[in-house]
Amino acid sequence: MIEVEHLKKEFRKVVKEPGLKGSVKSLFKPKYETVAAVDDISFHVPKGEILGFIGPNGAGKSTVIKMLTGILTPTSGSCTINGKDPAADRKRYVKEIGVVFGQRTQLWWDLPLRETYGVLKEVYSVPDEKYQKRMELLNEVLELDDFIGSPVRTLSLGQRMRADIAASLLHSPKVLFLDEPTIGLDVVVKNNIRNAIMEINRTEKTTVILTTHDISDIELLCSRIVMVDKGHKVYDGSLDALKSKYGIMRELVFQPEIAENFSEKDFIGGLKLGGEDLTVGHENGKWRVRFNSEKIPVKDMLSYTLSHIEAKDISMREADVEEIIRRLYKEGVGV
Amino acid sequence: MKRILKIYFRLLSQNIKMLMEYRIDFLTGAFSFIIDQVVGIGFIFIIFSQIPELAGYTLDQIVFIYGFSLIPKGLDHMFTDNLWSVGYFIVQKGDFDKYLTRPINPLFHIIAEKFQIDAAGELIMGIILVCISAGSAGVVFTPLSVVLLIVAIIFASLIYTSIKLGTAALAFWIKVSGQVTQVFYMTNEFAKYPTTIYSDFIRTVITYIVPFAFTGYYPCVYLFTGENPLFNIGGVVIVSSVLMMIALTIWNRGLKAYESAGS
Repeated sequence: MIEVEHLKKEFRKVVKEPGLKGSVKSLFKPKYETVAAVDDISFHVPKGEILGFIGPNGAGKSTVIKMLTGILTPTSGSCTINGKDPAADRKRYVKEIGVVFGQRTQLWWDLPLRETYGVLKEVYSVPDEKYQKRMELLNEVLELDDFIGSPVRTLSLGQRMRADIAASLLHSPKVLFLDEPTIGLDVVVKNNIRNAIMEINRTEKTTVILTTHDISDIELLCSRIVMVDKGHKVYDGSLDALKSKYGIMRELVFQPEIAENFSEKDFIGGLKLGGEDLTVGHENGKWRVRFNSEKIPVKDMLSYTLSHIEAKDISMREADVEEIIRRLYKEGVGV
Repeated sequence: MKRILKIYFRLLSQNIKMLMEYRIDFLTGAFSFIIDQVVGIGFIFIIFSQIPELAGYTLDQIVFIYGFSLIPKGLDHMFTDNLWSVGYFIVQKGDFDKYLTRPINPLFHIIAEKFQIDAAGELIMGIILVCISAGSAGVVFTPLSVVLLIVAIIFASLIYTSIKLGTAALAFWIKVSGQVTQVFYMTNEFAKYPTTIYSDFIRTVITYIVPFAFTGYYPCVYLFTGENPLFNIGGVVIVSSVLMMIALTIWNRGLKAYESAGS
């Protein structure tokens, strides 16, 4: 469905020296520098998959999305979606995709929402009957009814995002690109949007490429993730595989009953572990011990703790995805 | 084609509905335009109260040229006003992205998105001035001259459009090009008067470089005298076509150079 091969995008930037003097200098004698925002990224996505495309800010996620949607022309490499080259075959290609950029709307600011959909219906040549049915469905999953008569500029962020997603689905696209669709939204709206994405994906086999910083989006929606950092791909695989590979951190939480004679320092000292592998924190009178389960097995950690501290309310947690991704970002682990 | 027209009229009707939403803006625009024109016309009358003719043209002829020049300007203003936004912010802010993700020509999309009703003032004023001055200015309407008049108006409008389009497209490289458009566009002020009153330098500039002289003076010379239609009317067609080709080339290259913005 989507084949991305050795995709690369370079931008030419003017290098400015600091200060006004530097600015003036660069105005007359600009120095250029070529920066590769995306460098040699390849991946394939089969039909019907929801792919989480993640990475820290400035990693090149949006640049990849913009190349896949035909907005930017790649410097080299290729992407083929549904057998079409987005940059070369733009007009025919974009009929088959839906795009949402969470940071900006693609709706007409002054038009009532209903009119916006009316215009998009013509732009995508959706037949009347199909349009009626589609609007009913979108109304149902995204709950547009309350604000469909209001001008777009008066919508709240949550309403606007739902409206934008509905707009991108109006023409039943085969591929849906969502660039941070849940940014800045409250939990209720986030849930509504996630359910809508799942529903459309399940019933229509729509392939979805999703970028997000919200870990719950990934856990709930994505069967697979591709992670990029500094323009390179650093991970490509299932979430479960990532968890088992990097999810070695555990967290032991307990409330000490008599702890005066045993400090944090003693605790760490006794185990001869440190740094990333063992940290102890306190919260509401509870201890939170995060440790690397490869360095010290869970069983040993438990018995060590219980033999030194009298504790109650003991619980053990697996590292969540957020934790794993934080580690990955930090260490830039290879595939 | 049918689909294109349908989209166009759909957006047009939305624009007109929007006018109702921004009534104050519309009224202010119309009012400031009337002031502008009253000053312009008043200035011509002041000059003619001192002198009987200007560069061999009577008051009525000058008024005719002035009025005629407003018609193509108004037509362009009415239909392609959104090109200004391209140079001022659409490219810079990355809002151009949305036009590229739709299955229609982005240039058409941008133009169709805005219908500038303010331009009705220019058009109506231009038509009134042309009508009241035509007889005494010595314009003879024959079937041929009417056809050529219409041809001249259409191609003269496209001169305005091309200049806006070509300079707006520079934004794809320099990000903000609105001021460049402004500089070129302002020279149309010269087109309201006979080019013979200017120095050779200015005349050359407004004939061959920023050819606004073809949007007013030259077609009017043909209407006054019937002379040299090949240059006075044919010139409009040729200059306009060449300029449009250059503008479209810059635009199409710009599309490939577009770098978007933000995340």
